[in-house]
Amino acid sequence: MDPLLVTQALNVLYEVVTLAVIVLGLAIVFGLLGVMNLAHGEFIALGAYVAYVCQSHGLPYLAAVPAAIAACALLALPVERFLIRPLYDRPFDTLLATWGLSLFMRKAIEIGFGGGYKSLKIPVSDSVLVLGTPFPAYRLLLMALCAALIAALLLWYRRSVAGARVKAMVGNRELAQAVGIRTDRLARDTFVVGLCFAGLAGVMVAPLVSVQPYMGLDYVLRSFFVLVVGGLGSPLGLLSGAAAIGGVESAMSALVDRTAGYSTVLLIAIFFLWRRPHGIFGRS
Amino acid sequence: MGSLAVRSAVLLLLLLALPLALGEYWAFQLGLFFLYAIAALGVALCWGQAGFLPLGQALFVGLAAYLSGAALIQWGEAWWVFLLLPFAAIAAGALAFLLGLIIFRGRSESGPYFAIITLAIALLAFQVANSWNAVTGGYNGMKAIPGLPGLEGFSDVYYLAAVALACAVALCGWLVQAPLGTLWRAIALNERRVAYFGYDTAMLKAIAFGLSGVLAGIAGALYAPQQGLVTPELVGFALSADLVIWVAVGGRKRVLGPVLGAVLVGILSAELRERTYYWDLIVAAVFVFVVLYAPGGIGALLAPLERLLPGRRKALEPLRAPASKAPRSAVTLAIDGVSAAAGEVRILDRLSLAVARPGIYCLIGPNGAGKTSTFNMLTGELRAQAGEVRLDGDILSKPTPYRLARRGVGRKFQIPSVFGELSIDENLRIAVWSARTSLLDWLRPATRRWDTPVMAALRGRYPFLDDGGRLASALSHGERQVLELSMALITEPRLLLLDEPCAGLSSEETAQVREVIRWARDTLGLSVVIIEHDMALVKQLAEHVFVLHQGRLLAEGDVAAIRSDPRVHEVYVGAAE
Repeated sequence: MDPLLVTQALNVLYEVVTLAVIVLGLAIVFGLLGVMNLAHGEFIALGAYVAYVCQSHGLPYLAAVPAAIAACALLALPVERFLIRPLYDRPFDTLLATWGLSLFMRKAIEIGFGGGYKSLKIPVSDSVLVLGTPFPAYRLLLMALCAALIAALLLWYRRSVAGARVKAMVGNRELAQAVGIRTDRLARDTFVVGLCFAGLAGVMVAPLVSVQPYMGLDYVLRSFFVLVVGGLGSPLGLLSGAAAIGGVESAMSALVDRTAGYSTVLLIAIFFLWRRPHGIFGRS
Repeated sequence: MGSLAVRSAVLLLLLLALPLALGEYWAFQLGLFFLYAIAALGVALCWGQAGFLPLGQALFVGLAAYLSGAALIQWGEAWWVFLLLPFAAIAAGALAFLLGLIIFRGRSESGPYFAIITLAIALLAFQVANSWNAVTGGYNGMKAIPGLPGLEGFSDVYYLAAVALACAVALCGWLVQAPLGTLWRAIALNERRVAYFGYDTAMLKAIAFGLSGVLAGIAGALYAPQQGLVTPELVGFALSADLVIWVAVGGRKRVLGPVLGAVLVGILSAELRERTYYWDLIVAAVFVFVVLYAPGGIGALLAPLERLLPGRRKALEPLRAPASKAPRSAVTLAIDGVSAAAGEVRILDRLSLAVARPGIYCLIGPNGAGKTSTFNMLTGELRAQAGEVRLDGDILSKPTPYRLARRGVGRKFQIPSVFGELSIDENLRIAVWSARTSLLDWLRPATRRWDTPVMAALRGRYPFLDDGGRLASALSHGERQVLELSMALITEPRLLLLDEPCAGLSSEETAQVREVIRWARDTLGLSVVIIEHDMALVKQLAEHVFVLHQGRLLAEGDVAAIRSDPRVHEVYVGAAE
């Protein structure tokens, strides 16, 4: 096969799969709880910075995984209690409060680590041959991990008792309470898990992106667009949204330039927000 | 109005004296933040009044700044360049108005999605500004923009900014007190209800957004000569974000709130950001605090001061309102074989019924028979999948609450929906203005004094309506029912749809409402369709009864005929064995 074509195809696939894992945390928090968390991107950044700290202290890269999850969970608990819970019936204010939180976190990161770029060493630096074309091994590994993570989460959501409880809560909060589900705690746990997934995504992509305090803004918008295009609350939506946004962006970037790629994504997002807020498959 | 003029004059004098005391550097800084305050006023108009949040307002600041910069570079020497600057602001306003109209027509809610759309548009504009080198100068920006001809030094530009700010404050103060302001606040509270009074709410919101674009445009048009440089940063996320923070912290509901926010928070930030790392953390924390616990912001602290100002309300002489523009002839309505479904559930099943002449019609039937759904179908909230509806003989295709109200169809909801945070007077006025006002009337204070014979008669019947300053949220349930019914009648509809108008009323109040409905039928010559469960009331009021069952018309006729109809008995109490 044409090596250039293989590389391009792998790159597009890589963009789509990593985008899906970036969105995963917001898909949980926004898709299930209806919380428009504009600080989603800052939790991704937090994960990436935890990975940076671990690496600069000479720890193995895998150590960043539990560390990032712990950091995100520790921060997510008070955030849920004092910011999200009082605002459950005020979606507009949730948007603003989490936005304020994102400004706060961004600035705190800037104060702690400085405004400049941090680059991380790629944990697996070899490349492997795919259909006769060399491709970085870490990217392949990342794609496999992302796919596995999404699949595992889906399976858990579909099969486990906890998943059924979450579904019950999403479907009808009062009724779920009436049958003995402690929706307060369940919503809290769901929120925390969502933010931990964001931190985990940060650890995964950190070696391949420029880690800087403002990285979150880009991620949260892109995640939001994926969910709007794909539609909320369905795994198929998550994947198709990621495919649409990630695929179009990387294709347009390859064909024209990065500006064209990003602008096209914005145009698609504006159209969907305006005309089809329930996504490709949703009924209007 | 008097107090507004006094306030503006005092403010203006203070502003003009400031640079004498503070010197050039502060004149420059203050001038810049006055411009930002003008843009913030626009954000507050949308968010604090009309209830939707523009999150990408920097787009309009930036657009006007680039236009004004280009004009100054081209014709900077000529005095008439002053005449071009307003066009930069108007262009920004026109873009905002068009965007608003397109977005609001596409979807009627104004929740978080509108905010995200405007943010995405601003980010798109940043991409354009950043990459269109030939026009905008790309990343480095549009450089060496000359100052305005005849204005020397920073203090001259400061005066210009101060005058512009004073004018902007006066304009916003005017708008907030004008009928337009009342309509915006009503939309923020309950947009659907406003549409049912015959207002094009998308248009009203687009006007607010357009005006906010003009204000942002004024800021941008003066920004270019003040700074001498316009970079893509001006269009981007940071300024949009700052504007929202200033408005929130300053207080979005008060005219001076955004000015306070922009000048205090803005200037403190510019000064302290350099000195302490933690300043931005404090601002972010204060912002979150305001969102959670203090929606009034700093502006709320001004409330006690305002009461000290002289020249508050005198009793206003009422003015006779012009006649309604809605048609006046008796209505005919025919529903012909209409079916509607929600998902799998069939709600209306080939329903046919007709209202041929004025009178009181009752719509009865067991729960789930499709009574409220019939109303929803008529007003377009429930899509009919088959059949047709004819109003005055014309087929209604794609009805909306707004269009129906314009043709003289009014509605009162089952749960009384009045505008709780508006006064009784404002609630009544929204009804009086319905189908009687044009854009010009929305701006004239005299429109607030409009009165009609129907309104006067209702005030006579219900003395609590005269206590106009009270908030509607302070009324009892029964009073709210009566207020909403009065509002519906004041619009002088030809066809009035009432959904359980007496629910939750005492027997005395019920008797009063019964009287009002009869009186309205006689004086307005209207057709009333009432959904009612209370059979005693149906017996007293109905001239004609429709019985619905499972989405179909089961029986119709006068009360006696319905009472003796065995099919009706079967539906209500089960078949006799």
